[in-house]
Amino acid sequence: MMEQPHELAVEAPRTWERPVVCVPVLVALSLVGGRFPSFSTEANLYVFGAGGVLIWLGLTNRVPRRPAPQRLASGAVWWTLPVLVFGVFEGATFFAAAGDDFPTFSRLADPLLEDRLVRSAGWLVWLSAFWGLVRR
Amino acid sequence: MMRTLAIGGFLVGLALFGLVEWLARREGSRIPTLGEVCAYVMRYEVGPVPVGRIGLFGFWWWVGWHFLAR
Repeated sequence: MMEQPHELAVEAPRTWERPVVCVPVLVALSLVGGRFPSFSTEANLYVFGAGGVLIWLGLTNRVPRRPAPQRLASGAVWWTLPVLVFGVFEGATFFAAAGDDFPTFSRLADPLLEDRLVRSAGWLVWLSAFWGLVRR
Repeated sequence: MMRTLAIGGFLVGLALFGLVEWLARREGSRIPTLGEVCAYVMRYEVGPVPVGRIGLFGFWWWVGWHFLAR
């Protein structure tokens, strides 16, 4: 039997890596996370548990990774623009420490995240991005 | 006044993230996507230690803890 060339041998994704599996899992985990209020022991344990598992997956070779670019195109410099704008405002509001008069981003987000559905959406964004990082 | 400035500044920052990502996803764009930038940063290693990977995972873990647990 002839050996298949490497570039033609495409490894089928494992069951739990398929969107039809991982999206419902991420949604379910987010709905659970959204039930835990800020400063609760459950919320802390859940963040540390979920983050710990994802970091473990990301640092071991249990999840196949997409190939990383060898070098970045010159256009990468455009990413400094949003980072700079966001960083300047976060730094200014943090060091001004003016409370609600000149609030930090997290101070603005806190009242929004008190709503269970918004909190679950926040969890979904966080977990999905984390899962994306693990696979990079 | 200052509160409006802060809200406006953060909204502009977030909108710029979206705009640059949109520009990066266009056909033939010279701008890498945010995912590609992250993947490049995560390649950084000092000896056998994946410093870039640990740093980015640690940062994102902290973001989750900061917004969702406290």
